[in-house]
Parts: sequence; C-alpha cells; structure tokens
Amino acid sequence: MSFDSLIDRLADDLTPVRRRRPWVDMLTIAAIALAELALLFVVGFAHMSLHRMMTEPTLWWRLASLGLISILSGALAIRSFDPAYSPKGGLRWLALIIVICLTFGLLMGGLPGGLASIADRLDWTSGVECAYKMALLSVPPLIGLALLGRRGAPTDLRRTPLLMGLAAAAWGAFSFVFACPFTDPLYIAVWYSVGCGIVVVLARLILPRIARW
Amino acid sequence: MADDHWRTLMRAVQAGDTAAYRRLLVEVGSWLQAYYSRRLPSGMVDDAAQEALMTLHAKRHTYDPSKPFGPWLAAIARYKWIDRLRAMKAAPTEELSEDLAVRDCGEAVQSARSLEALLERLKPAQANAIRLVKIEGLTIKEAADKLGQTISLVKVNIHRGLRQLGELAQEEGHEF
Repeated sequence: MSFDSLIDRLADDLTPVRRRRPWVDMLTIAAIALAELALLFVVGFAHMSLHRMMTEPTLWWRLASLGLISILSGALAIRSFDPAYSPKGGLRWLALIIVICLTFGLLMGGLPGGLASIADRLDWTSGVECAYKMALLSVPPLIGLALLGRRGAPTDLRRTPLLMGLAAAAWGAFSFVFACPFTDPLYIAVWYSVGCGIVVVLARLILPRIARW
Repeated sequence: MADDHWRTLMRAVQAGDTAAYRRLLVEVGSWLQAYYSRRLPSGMVDDAAQEALMTLHAKRHTYDPSKPFGPWLAAIARYKWIDRLRAMKAAPTEELSEDLAVRDCGEAVQSARSLEALLERLKPAQANAIRLVKIEGLTIKEAADKLGQTISLVKVNIHRGLRQLGELAQEEGHEF
C-alpha cells in the first residue's frame, strides 16, 4: 500500500477518542480490589480469630508491607502503560522496598534457629495451601490490569508484566492476610513470597502476549 | 521534531479533526521514514514506517497533550523497530533470495548506523555471523566457511546474537 492511500484510509477512519487517563485506571483497579476484599468479608472468608490477631504486630507488618507494595507496583504498572514511560527506575526502588519489608519481618522474630526448627516452622502442607489461595485471590486484579494494559501502550514488555503481576500478587496476599491463621514471620516471609512469586512468574510469562500491540 | 506544532495537531486529532490528521500523518510519516532509514535495511523502511503510522492511529488515545509529542512518537517508533529486529530473527534465512539480499545489504550496512552500533556491542563471533547472514545475505554454509566455524555454531551465534540485540535495543532507553 502506498503512503498516500494509507493516509487516506487512516484519515477516513478517524473518530474522536476518549483520552486514556492514568488516574481513572488507578481508580478502576482500586475499585476491583476493594470489591474483591468486601466480597471476601461478606462470604465469611475472614479468620474467626481475626479480632484476637489484631493485637499481633505481624498482622500489621503484613498489611502495611503488602498494601504498600501493591499500591506502588500498581501505580507504576499503570504509569508504564504510557509508551514514553520506562518503569526501570521504579522497579529498582520497589525491589529495595520488598527487601526492607522482608528484613523487617525477619527481625521481628523470624530468624531461624536450626534445620529442624525451620522445617517445623515452615509447615509446608499449610504453606502450599496458603500460596495457592493467595494466587487465586490475585486473579481479579490481574485480569483488570491486563485489560487496562491492552488499552494502553506499554513498551517495556518485560518489566510492565512484572509490575502487573507484583501488584496483583501483593493484593492477593493482602486479602489473604485476613484469613491466614499463621503469625510466624518466617512462615509468612517464605510462603507469602512463594505465593506472590508464582503469580509474578506467570504474569511475566503470559501477559506480554496479551499486552503486545 | 516540531514538537509544539505536532502537539497542537495531535490535540485536534484526538477531537476528530481530519484535516489536522492528514497534515500530521504526512509530517510524521516523513520523520518515521528518516528514523527507520538509519536503523533498518532499505527494503524494510516503508513497511516499518507504515506500520508505525497504523500504530499511531490505533494508540492515539494514549497520548497526553500536556506532555511533549516527540518522546511519545519516538517510543512507538522504537517499539516497532524492536519488533522488526525480532522479525529478522524469526525470518528463515535460507529462503531469502540471494539477489534481493545482496541488493539490500550494501545500503543497509552503510545506513543502519544504530544497528551497527548495537552489533559492535555483541561478541565478535555473533556480530560477524549476523552481518554475513542477516545483512549481507550469505547462506549459513557460506558464512560458516568464511568464518571458519561449523554450521551449527554459526546458527547458535546468530540466534544468541539476535536475542541479545533485541535486549540491547530495549535497554537503550528512550532518548533519540
């Protein structure tokens, strides 16, 4: 096709567009995430001894860390739907924040004291179940982010899917905190990382195919 | 780039102004042809520029008129350029017509300065294999004879080199 005929075709096809606004995307994802959390409380997903766990510092450590990671990575992911924005720097800061959050939790009493102690504390059968539930809870925000990503134009199809996966995984883990009876920081650091890691890896593998344009 | 001028046109385009759109497409089309002529073999320039124009059309809602137009356009052009590099990697080299490849390669080597700069950052064995097969159009066997490598080693060098080339292009940032 010649340039002139392409220009004619595109000009004939022109219609006014509603401009993409990042803050609208952020509100949309926040609404999806909050609706999911509300639904979980309505169906009785929260742990029965939640009121007792409110006095546990690890509950607040989990909520603050996961909430912060989810909000920051979600905001970065949505910003990176703009083709001119590179998420590289933001991802580095996010990695630092994750390390700080994990270190803080381990310092709260999570440092292991021997192999037998580690095996007992990790309780892998419950851990696998926790990781699985976290991954399931991350699906709604992940789908929301994937749809918004398709409407946008992300140019870094390695880092943007990582951020989308991280945001959804952190939110899945945040929601799961209300149903999780475990308070051991080592257990939490390991199994929450496994649950989030699975979602991030899957997002990195699957989302580039969906977000490609 | 006439950034303010294009920004004004693009704002009108988002509101549905066809005349502004025609002007913008003509001017951006010329810029894209110049952009790709420095980065791709001449036979791919028009296709790449047209594809970038179609992408501009499809993604015009992602432009924010409060920001400069240049980086937005350059990001789209660069994204499509990386796509072309990937397509080069996937293209079956054995099926290329020798005449076509030879006709393309001279201009490609001279004009694709950015591509050459990226090639210089690869291992010499990878860069040489890519130059001979993908740019100069030699068959794998001819390149293997010329480089004194086995056929499988040339294939591996091309595969790894093109993969790294794509990564380097992606790592380069958005400045042009």
